[in-house]
Amino acid sequence: MERELVGIAGLVVFFLLLALRVPVGLAMIGVGIAGNYALSIVAPFLRFEPYLKSFKTLLWSNVANYELSVVPLFVLMGFLASRANLSRDLFEGINALIGRVRGGVAIAAIGACAGFGAVCGSSLATASTMGRVALPELRRLNYAPRLATGSLAAGGTLGILIPPSVALVIYAIIVEASIIEMFQAAVIPGLLAVLFFVGVIALLVRLRPDLAPDTTALEGAERTRAILRLIPVLLLFGAIILGLGFGIFTPTPAAAIGVAAVLLYGFAANAVRPGLTLGGVKSSLLDTAVTAGMIYFILFGAEVLKGFFTRANLPAALADWAGTSGLDPFLVLALMLVILIVLGCFMESLAMILVVVPFFWPALIALNGGDYVTAETAAYGMDNDALRIWFGILALVVVELGLITPPVGLNVFIINALAKDTPMAETFRGVMPFFGVEIVRVGLLLLFPGIVLFLPQLLGG
Amino acid sequence: MHRFLATAATWWALLGGAILLLIVAVTSWNVGAFALARLGLPAEGLAGYEDAVRLMVSMSALMFLPYCQLRRGHVAVDLFVNALPARTRRGLDRLWLAVMAIAALFLGWWMSVGLVETRIDQTASRILGWPEWPFYAPGILSLMLWAAIAAEQAAGTDDGA
Repeated sequence: MERELVGIAGLVVFFLLLALRVPVGLAMIGVGIAGNYALSIVAPFLRFEPYLKSFKTLLWSNVANYELSVVPLFVLMGFLASRANLSRDLFEGINALIGRVRGGVAIAAIGACAGFGAVCGSSLATASTMGRVALPELRRLNYAPRLATGSLAAGGTLGILIPPSVALVIYAIIVEASIIEMFQAAVIPGLLAVLFFVGVIALLVRLRPDLAPDTTALEGAERTRAILRLIPVLLLFGAIILGLGFGIFTPTPAAAIGVAAVLLYGFAANAVRPGLTLGGVKSSLLDTAVTAGMIYFILFGAEVLKGFFTRANLPAALADWAGTSGLDPFLVLALMLVILIVLGCFMESLAMILVVVPFFWPALIALNGGDYVTAETAAYGMDNDALRIWFGILALVVVELGLITPPVGLNVFIINALAKDTPMAETFRGVMPFFGVEIVRVGLLLLFPGIVLFLPQLLGG
Repeated sequence: MHRFLATAATWWALLGGAILLLIVAVTSWNVGAFALARLGLPAEGLAGYEDAVRLMVSMSALMFLPYCQLRRGHVAVDLFVNALPARTRRGLDRLWLAVMAIAALFLGWWMSVGLVETRIDQTASRILGWPEWPFYAPGILSLMLWAAIAAEQAAGTDDGA
């Protein structure tokens, strides 16, 4: 019991350090090492010195990981696509197609967020890139500030689910699920989100026509040009999304080929419009260094922290407790999702998944009926492989919900920083309807796991 | 001093980025060869592709860290300290930067020990059979550079860029 107490104390200290603005990765490493020292005192058989020596190879073996190589590659692809103005082509092309409908420009922004979020894989980066591209256009056409900022903050969250998503890759690695199956499972819930968001905009502008004025979208040659420029972007993004979703490519080659394709297309596009420059490649590489460096540091920190919690026996104790408590499994699942939403409001989504999932997952297995349960006897009505996929998608969806939860959602802050003349309260008011349908979506995914499991079972079986 | 560290970290990160582009090139070659082989043409993919990617990305990943520190890219939770006075916030910031420098030194020290032992043990990658110890070296340099940048930021001689 003493070990578990040390573990719980470590968890409390960890959150305290986070509140004091210690960089997340550093807090993880600090608590991990100090925690292991404390463990060696209460449980002398957990010796500290051999533990310390594990740092000889721990960092290197953590980064020398083939599966994780997909992360910097996808990050690079996102930055290159943005610098090559593919994000602009995407938005302007969709806008040329549907901009004439009332509310169409906001819908185009959602569509472009979905497409760009897919190749970018980070919600915050999607929100800021598409915000920069679409916000000026929405404002120029006199869209109500709240509709403009609300749609973009919500649209930014689409990135985490539509494959390829860095968060999905990390989740799959933690729970030892297949990355491809996770991608497949994310397709329908991701499209559902797009559909819901578009529905929200259509409904809003119908109820309050003043939110989106009648617009004179692009005409004639300009329109044709925008649509023509959309085609290669759709082909490129579509090939990556579908290729991964249907398991035609494995992640690392897909990401690397994606980078090559964006590079070639970006330079070729210079013939007709400003595309990629050498300076653009250089700044993309440097931006990648910041984002990928941040991710790798947190991944390593999470490894150190996980080592401490495992030695403190905390996840196993939690699983034991959950398995024997007699609590309703669905109640526990709902509680876990609420915890994720609350944490997601202020914590970086990746760090959160890395800290929380190793705790929740063993408890879920125990609740489901243990390691060898079959779908017929399982508490959640599915075997552990299906549970792994279903829970991952649910967890990622609610993490995203945290990003637009008033009053702290990070995406809202990013978009609000771009729309300098829009008060924060206005942006949060704009996000509320999207927040509402997100809750509905979580409900649907909870009630009908088939929405998540259909594709992986169809394509895998 | 700041300018030297900033330039070093920038070029070091770009070198890491170049390695990433090398992965892109190797993959394109491999996928191309695979496609040609499927068409019945005499083309061969690279043996040990995954092994090579693993070793290359190990260098890139660590080479990004000093630059990430330079741009203060390591995420932290801002929410709660925003209520504190600016001086307290700056004090906390300096404290964590100093701890970050120590942590980077700590990791660098153990990784150097790791390099020596991996060399003595002649640990080699699984498929290609390349020795692993040379791949530790850029990582150790990265951690030293990272520590220097964090220490300089803690001392507060840079402009906080």
